[in-house]
Amino acid sequence: MKKTGFFAVYLILVVAQLLLSNYFHLSRYIMLSILPVMVLCIPLKVDTIPAMIIAFATGLTVDLFADGVIGLNALALVPVAFGRKEMIRLIFGEDLLSRGEDFSVRRSGLGQVIMAIAIAQALFLFIYIWADGAGTRPFWFNFTRFLLSEIVGVLVSLLVIDTLAPDSRK
Amino acid sequence: MRRESSLIQRIVALAIFILLEIASLYMLRRNAPLQRMWVARAAHGIMGSIGGGTQRIGDYFSLKKLNQQLAEENAELRIQNAMLQEIAHQYKVDTMRYGIQKVRGFTYVPCEIRRISRGKQHNYMILDKGREDGILENSGIITPDGVVGIVEAVSAHYCYALSLQNTDISVSARFGEEGATGLLSWDGYSSNGALLREIPLQFKYEKGDTVYTSGHSLVFPPDIPLGVAGDSRVINGAVNEIKVKLFQDFTALRYVTVAYNNAQKEMGGLIK
Repeated sequence: MKKTGFFAVYLILVVAQLLLSNYFHLSRYIMLSILPVMVLCIPLKVDTIPAMIIAFATGLTVDLFADGVIGLNALALVPVAFGRKEMIRLIFGEDLLSRGEDFSVRRSGLGQVIMAIAIAQALFLFIYIWADGAGTRPFWFNFTRFLLSEIVGVLVSLLVIDTLAPDSRK
Repeated sequence: MRRESSLIQRIVALAIFILLEIASLYMLRRNAPLQRMWVARAAHGIMGSIGGGTQRIGDYFSLKKLNQQLAEENAELRIQNAMLQEIAHQYKVDTMRYGIQKVRGFTYVPCEIRRISRGKQHNYMILDKGREDGILENSGIITPDGVVGIVEAVSAHYCYALSLQNTDISVSARFGEEGATGLLSWDGYSSNGALLREIPLQFKYEKGDTVYTSGHSLVFPPDIPLGVAGDSRVINGAVNEIKVKLFQDFTALRYVTVAYNNAQKEMGGLIK
């Protein structure tokens, strides 16, 4: 997939996230977000600094157009972009980075992709739930919300990842 | 070269990451009251830690200056201490030489015991001051812990006194400030035991009540605490005899004060 094609899909997914945030309230314990996987799938040729700016802009857009606190998604999403390359290096190995290739389920295996999504999702949710609670919610509530959101988020992200990182991009 | 540029890139990335996070927090703070307090609390905590850290670093580097100040202060204090010691020494010499003080009708002279007997029925003591130091016969001998004796005879530089541990002497004593009065004397055998005699039967007291000098005897000043009351027994069905545990430890006695009632002669003349 070309860069322009990726960003077109990316924008569509931002709109999808806005719809999820505005209309799909499953439970107070579930925070449904595909933003971490979107940031994780930004092509590796895009450096960390532009990736962070993209993540910041994405988070801010969702914050502005969804019923949420402005700055919350941006706060949680920028660290995912900041640690994106390190996560990929850790899970997929140095070779993928040095070749400048993007990961996909077929190329890297489902297990590694799930692990990458889980870590990105966990990092995002940890900051999001922590900042959203602002120290006022009990630990068990935050923990349950984190756990359920993580599971649902990874499952939804698996559906999205093929759109963002298709095997045709090989 | 490539490594250097990579390092710079990482530093710039980190700086931008921090900048973006601060921007996010700023927006959070502006738009949500709950998060505003949360961010403010966290910011105060961080600023406090940074402030504390810089304070500690500053303190470390200012130690040399502080040490110098302390050294100067120490030197000044040493000089002051030496001056005060000199004054104290002078005062002590003066007290030894002119140790006579007059307070509330009594003349007080500080003395040191040169000889003291114990373990007899008629104990005595010899003090290092005599007539030339202002000591007179029938003066009381006291300490902060009570009464220890009465001056019996005086020479030019020494005086001879009967100890309270002498069955021949008794002291007028009273319960509290306004209680019954009686005569206190040594019980004849214990080192800190005495008997308070001639206490009327109708007078009620509690064990542990303090016994003071009454001031009726012309020898001792009033209200000197002597000891605490213990058990009692009825004598001849008329009066109580109460055991008193004295405050004064006669085994550790060295410095005493001789107290002379200035009105003793005049009042004694009236009695005669």
